[in-house]
Amino acid sequence: MARNLMRFTGVGGQGVLLAGEIFAAAKIKAGGEGLKTATYTSQVRGGPTVVDITLDDEEIFYPYANEGEIDFMLSVAQVSYNSFKSGVTPGGTIVVDPNLVHPSEQDRKTWKIYEIPIITIAKEEVGNVITQSVVALAIANTMQNAIDKQILVDTMLSKVPAKVHAANLKAYELGEKYANEAMGK
Amino acid sequence: MATREVISNGNELSALAAKDAGCKFFAGYPITPSSEVMHEMSDLMPEIGGVCIQMEDEIAGVAAAIGAGMAGVRTMTATSGPGISLKAENLGLAQMTEVPLVVVNVMRGGPSTGLPTRVSQGDVRQAKNPSHGDYRSITLCAGSLAECYTETVRAFNLADRFMQPVFVLLDETIGHMHGKAMLPTEEEVAAGIVPRKTFDGAPEDYLPYECEADQPAVLNPMFKGYRYHFTGLHHDGKGFPTEEIETCRKLIQRLEDKVMMHTDELELNEEFMLDDMTGADGEVLIIAYGSVSLAAKEAIRHLRAAGIKAGLFRPITLWPSPAESIKKYTDLIKNVLCVELNIRQYTEEIERVSGRLDLEGLYKVNGRPISPNEIVNKVKEVF
Repeated sequence: MARNLMRFTGVGGQGVLLAGEIFAAAKIKAGGEGLKTATYTSQVRGGPTVVDITLDDEEIFYPYANEGEIDFMLSVAQVSYNSFKSGVTPGGTIVVDPNLVHPSEQDRKTWKIYEIPIITIAKEEVGNVITQSVVALAIANTMQNAIDKQILVDTMLSKVPAKVHAANLKAYELGEKYANEAMGK
Repeated sequence: MATREVISNGNELSALAAKDAGCKFFAGYPITPSSEVMHEMSDLMPEIGGVCIQMEDEIAGVAAAIGAGMAGVRTMTATSGPGISLKAENLGLAQMTEVPLVVVNVMRGGPSTGLPTRVSQGDVRQAKNPSHGDYRSITLCAGSLAECYTETVRAFNLADRFMQPVFVLLDETIGHMHGKAMLPTEEEVAAGIVPRKTFDGAPEDYLPYECEADQPAVLNPMFKGYRYHFTGLHHDGKGFPTEEIETCRKLIQRLEDKVMMHTDELELNEEFMLDDMTGADGEVLIIAYGSVSLAAKEAIRHLRAAGIKAGLFRPITLWPSPAESIKKYTDLIKNVLCVELNIRQYTEEIERVSGRLDLEGLYKVNGRPISPNEIVNKVKEVF
């Protein structure tokens, strides 16, 4: 596998940090290398947050994504979308929550943009808004085909309390379903 | 060496190392980007019968940690640059009284409160002389997740060997990056612990500060029947204040010599892709440390792929600086690029020990990391 660079962006408190940790840990369990870095502002709740995830079979030194080389970005906040979209390689994939992020026409020409109402899925279909990070995780993995699904799901379950395992499993399945639908599969 | 795989971040690995190295006491005051060190210690210390206490401020945090060191246990505090500024007075006290202590500093932007959540290496100069007076800083700087662990372990052993505070410098990037670290086993770390020296003669013969001219004080743990005195004033063999001329001179000279006459026990570097350097034209030496070295390594991969023979010299012990090793490489290789997340804080030391004033530099102070591409472009631009 070549290097896989993913970026999750949102605002502080949405749980994007955990999604990054799960990805890195799952890749390591699968026998590769994974690193997660997060950048946030001193305004912890509500400030723009970006998580870079680097997955590779080779040793990774520099933990951030090189600007312009990111394969996949997911964004659930306009302020973060605006700040960090430039890191995505032209022709790369961007997933946005259409209730929160409104890409320009130029953006739609530059990148493959998919609209999936991540927050609404978590809030209304799963019934727990906190599971949005797992919906996002499933979308990213389904679109990028980054890691064996079972390893990713097992890693995810090991990092959330047992009482919410069922909700998070449901969130993962829904994320996968919406991602496949968005890609027309 | 047996190893174990741990998935974590740099701050938590530093805390794990403290526990494994026999630390029994942590006192501090949470500050971004170091807070996870304390969070983790608050879990780990009670598990082993140790103590983790959140004090009322940074000053009290280091004061309590020094108190534990005086009592005889392995002790640590963690903070960021603004916290070191506040702790400076007490760090001087620990230097003067020769109390071992590990101080983790996860660097962020400064001066003052600066950029709390962003990366910097702006405390390198501060770590050399946080407090006034003559003493020698021992400062270690982790350049990988595994080193957040191994350098913290080393810091505890060096603190007890040299009887003084030892700094472990992390930075926001390395403290917060989350991934795999291959670590030595707990048993291996435990087997490597060398506790501080103690005096076991008659209590009336005990003179903790009267020691060989190049050796640290021998401070017995408290409550064992050995009485002595701690003071920040110049002091005699028993630890009581004195202005006797020769005693004062010998004390401060010994603080200098106990470190500088034993730098061979302190020096540790990484030489990355330097073994094939011959001194031929066009070879490039990059000098970097901490998280910046990660970008440098990635840059060297790209430069080598493009036919430019580049290598990295990375000091792990920053203070005292590895003067002879730096001189060796800067004598051999003409094109030298220093890369730092500050403005020339370590470059000035490299200039001093190399005797060269023609070093190129790449510096950044806006709280953002230096990327491999920026290093590649700089090399292509200046050489």
